[in-house]
Amino acid sequence: MIFKLFVLKEFKKSSYFFLGLGFLLVLGLSGLLSISFLTENIQNNLRSNARQLLTSDLAITARRDFFPEERKLITDFFKTKEHKTYQVVDIYSMVTNVTTSESRLVEIRCYEDHFPFYGQITSKGSLLNQNDFLISKELVNLWEVQTGDWLKIGDSQFKVSGIIDSDSSIGIRGFSLAPRIYLPLVKIIQSGLLRPGSTGQFSIHFKLNESEEELVKIRQELLKLLPDPAIKVMTSKESSNQAGRVFDYITDFMSLSALVGFLLALVGIFYFYQSYLLTRLKDFSLFYLHGLNKSQILFGIFLQFSSLFFFSLFIFFLIFNPFYFYLRDWLSTIIGFALPPGLNYRNFLINIPMLYALSLSILLPLLKGLLRTPLGLQLKLSKQALGYFHPLDFLPFVALLWIVAWQLSHSLKIGSLFLFSLLIIFFLSLILIKSFQKMAIYVRPSRTLCFINLNIGLSLRNFIQSGHKLNLSFIALVLGISLISLIFQLNFLIKKEFTLTDNKPSLFLFDIQEDQLSDLKKLGREKGLELSGVTPLVRGRIEKLNGFKFSRTEEKWDNSNREEEIEARTKNRGINLTYRQSLSPSEKIIAGTPFPETVPEGQNFSYLSIEERFAKRMGIKLGDKIIFDIGGVEIEGIVRNLREVKWTSFYPNFFVNLQPGFIDDAPKTYLAVLDRSFSHKKIDFQKASVNKFPNISFIDMEQLIQKLSELFEKSRRAVELISWLSLFIGFVILFGLCQDQIFRRTYDMALLKSLGFGYFSVLSQIMIEFGFVFFMATGLGIFLGWFLGAIIGLEVFKINLAFDFSHYVVLFLFLIFLCLATIFLVSWKTIAKNPRELLSDN
Amino acid sequence: MMKLKDIKKTFKTGSQSIEVLKGINLDIREGETIALLGRSGSGKSTLLSILGGLDNPDFGEVWFNDLCLNQLRDQELVKFRSKNIGIIFQQFHLVSTLTAIENVLLPLSLAKNTNAFEIATKLISDVGLTDRSAHLPSQLSGGESQRVAIARALAVNPKLLLADEPSGNLDEETGEKVMDLLFGMVKQLKTTLVLVTHDKEIARRCDRIINLEHGSIK
Ligand SMILES: Nc1ncnc2c1ncn2[C@@H]1O[C@H](COP(=O)(O)OP(=O)(O)OP(=O)(O)O)[C@@H](O)[C@H]1O
Ligand SMILES: [Mg+2]
Repeated sequence: MIFKLFVLKEFKKSSYFFLGLGFLLVLGLSGLLSISFLTENIQNNLRSNARQLLTSDLAITARRDFFPEERKLITDFFKTKEHKTYQVVDIYSMVTNVTTSESRLVEIRCYEDHFPFYGQITSKGSLLNQNDFLISKELVNLWEVQTGDWLKIGDSQFKVSGIIDSDSSIGIRGFSLAPRIYLPLVKIIQSGLLRPGSTGQFSIHFKLNESEEELVKIRQELLKLLPDPAIKVMTSKESSNQAGRVFDYITDFMSLSALVGFLLALVGIFYFYQSYLLTRLKDFSLFYLHGLNKSQILFGIFLQFSSLFFFSLFIFFLIFNPFYFYLRDWLSTIIGFALPPGLNYRNFLINIPMLYALSLSILLPLLKGLLRTPLGLQLKLSKQALGYFHPLDFLPFVALLWIVAWQLSHSLKIGSLFLFSLLIIFFLSLILIKSFQKMAIYVRPSRTLCFINLNIGLSLRNFIQSGHKLNLSFIALVLGISLISLIFQLNFLIKKEFTLTDNKPSLFLFDIQEDQLSDLKKLGREKGLELSGVTPLVRGRIEKLNGFKFSRTEEKWDNSNREEEIEARTKNRGINLTYRQSLSPSEKIIAGTPFPETVPEGQNFSYLSIEERFAKRMGIKLGDKIIFDIGGVEIEGIVRNLREVKWTSFYPNFFVNLQPGFIDDAPKTYLAVLDRSFSHKKIDFQKASVNKFPNISFIDMEQLIQKLSELFEKSRRAVELISWLSLFIGFVILFGLCQDQIFRRTYDMALLKSLGFGYFSVLSQIMIEFGFVFFMATGLGIFLGWFLGAIIGLEVFKINLAFDFSHYVVLFLFLIFLCLATIFLVSWKTIAKNPRELLSDN
Repeated sequence: MMKLKDIKKTFKTGSQSIEVLKGINLDIREGETIALLGRSGSGKSTLLSILGGLDNPDFGEVWFNDLCLNQLRDQELVKFRSKNIGIIFQQFHLVSTLTAIENVLLPLSLAKNTNAFEIATKLISDVGLTDRSAHLPSQLSGGESQRVAIARALAVNPKLLLADEPSGNLDEETGEKVMDLLFGMVKQLKTTLVLVTHDKEIARRCDRIINLEHGSIK
């Protein structure tokens, strides 16, 4: 009975209203659900391909060669277990095309017999062979090398035996520094390229006949057996998580953008539902008078909304399926990863109750408002407001929103910041619109209706009286516009940061040996250029912090907290150190004082300068005492200052700087850059030096930045897609809001016309009033979006404030135009109507 | 002062069409008060709208002195209406965002009257609402709203006042008071009045009674 009365009858009666509301819900849900769906399927795909990514059941890896003792421990450990094993070493090195003597940095994967246990690397359809030297297509595209050509690596030459057409161990790599090539490990060792002490990633892989649980246990035992934090033990689970990490940040950010879209839809739903309840109050009063009690009425509305929600969900599924299959290829190219054809809905089902609860909670204030409204009386007073909303009624919604934002971003911090920014936008818009209303009351002349002229005066009075309905639409507008402006600003900042400017280097050199440094500089000078940013790199590890031993933190992979993930990762990593007296141009001290000019006689510790975010993650503060292990020697340091580093400058910078004079004798290599002013000479220089110093690696920064910006462009486009969705939702709401406002004004407008106001007078009153509101909403929204963008840019990317003035003017004018066009579109017909018609229907 | 010649009006809703006015001829003299009687649905409100220039007849002419209203363009009609005609509706239509006194100020401002505020204040006090002048329509009772509507309709001192059942939505006592006020003001200002009513008592207070039956005057 209640179902029939509140769901069937009402849907039939107000079918347009519910269609619109359902449309809004579908739109709002589609962003969030699509993303959660994609994330889940990407993760699934990774999980099912995890072994192929790792190529084995278990791998022990380190960023250095294993010590003989460690190798013995490992061999002993596996003695009792049935296993097969091989080693893989990944190193970066320059490779030279013998015919053209062009050179380029590559990642060499040195493999052994049986590689890979799982998955396949194929060339012309046939699997990797024992003595193959395979190169990637990227290299082929670059140099047009063919099978049978000769490439030089180090001092040896190798004959290309094939070109890779598929490699299941690569998986998703949003970005790679260098193309990968495959060479047998023995050949590399024979060529002398891999000497003791060479840097690279060393892995020992195992194929074991064990269950998943057993693998986890074995992993734990190995971690205990090899206590050095530099050593990692990976099973397929760790490898898939590592591979998926590239996506996590993008999807987190996209989820939050989609949440804003959903939120906008909810704001719309709140507004329209309120409007709807108000018009139906009379009928509800009738139900009430005929024996339905209030809780039954509330239950009816609950049923009504729930039906709408699940119906919208159903519609979404109906649309999403064919849509997904149609767009799968296109989406795959955007995210650079083949999406699975099979759909998996687990995440969907997890998210739905959360979104359902969030949607219900926004209706709570309305329902409680209805509860406070004396029904029955409503029959007489047709234009009574709906109870009133208590601010506390919104608490459940805010709390739920917080949880949802936290869940979606996988970070309490980001989730809270998100909520905080929303609240700020909310209160700022409320304060602004309220104070403008107060101001309007203040400037309103009391003895005449005119203010400048009669039309403006009447607009002013409408503005004063429009009350909380206006506030709500104003806030919704500001929210929507802030988001647009925020994405606009982030796009702008990212673009600006990843374009080539003169102060970014054109070449980055690393692995320069100490004894090569002066010859390399000389070579440069012969070629008419000067190397800059020459910085020593020393590898070390934090041994103790303020007397406490730093031990390995287990990496957590429950996908719940990004900050913890980063922290665990950072703590386990050996760190690169340098020593220098003064700061590089891309560094700035933000706490503490610079190093003293000289080291006094007898000082047995070095002052330290620590990168600020690294310090935060590691819990390092000014004055802390840190003991490093550098090549087996303990060095003591005291934190003297914290530094901010602009990493996107691409100059050699380090987390930890020591004072000169303490680790100068430690084994080290050098980094250097070639400034962009020498860009035209870089190829010549690189050819010459690779020839002379084959161990030195070169990164072409112009290419790298190009690649990076392409990668950013891809994720930016994905994020943009979501923001367009939010924008669209924003305009659907704008349209509805305007329609609702005009509908409410119909009566007043007709009356004005019957009193002798012309069509253009009434139209201009409406346009002036809404124009003013739009003007403020757009102004505030653009400013807040810009501000948030600037803060994110500053905090996350260390990008300085920038304001793209002309673009903002265009955006501003465009939005205002759009708003005014909308209000014109919905109002002109109503205003043109004969007032008699409008006044006669009650 | 006002002349209706063979006014016809038909409403079409879908396939159905109702001939509401079937050739009305009427002469209204300056200063007289006319009561328009008739059953519900007989076309009283329709006739009133045509008199007020809110609606056009399908056939026939509407003359105001020597001005033919049918020939006026929309804009001119609006101007004519704001100067010459005051309207009071059954549902005391007030502009919801304006206070009582502002509602009265509205037509005065439109007419660019320089003494608008003084006139509005006086009218508000004439209808006995001085202490309610700053209230919004939602804060006024039915009777109070209708008194504001009367004040507003008379503000520009129109030649013709059209009132469509001004007491229809009020209880008897309040209705009577509103009618007293209306007749008092009309007499004082010497306004011509066309009053639609169901109440024979009230009709009798007018100079002339017109009966509308099946779309014609009896
Ligand atoms: N816009 C319209 N469209 C269609 N029919 C209409 C329209 N306006 C009025 N009518 C019809 O015209 C007839 C006369 O309506 P009118 O409002 O003039 O009657 P009335 O005499 O004022 O009645 P009441 O005493 O109930 O106010 C009615 O039958 C009504 O249904
Ligand atoms: Mg009528």
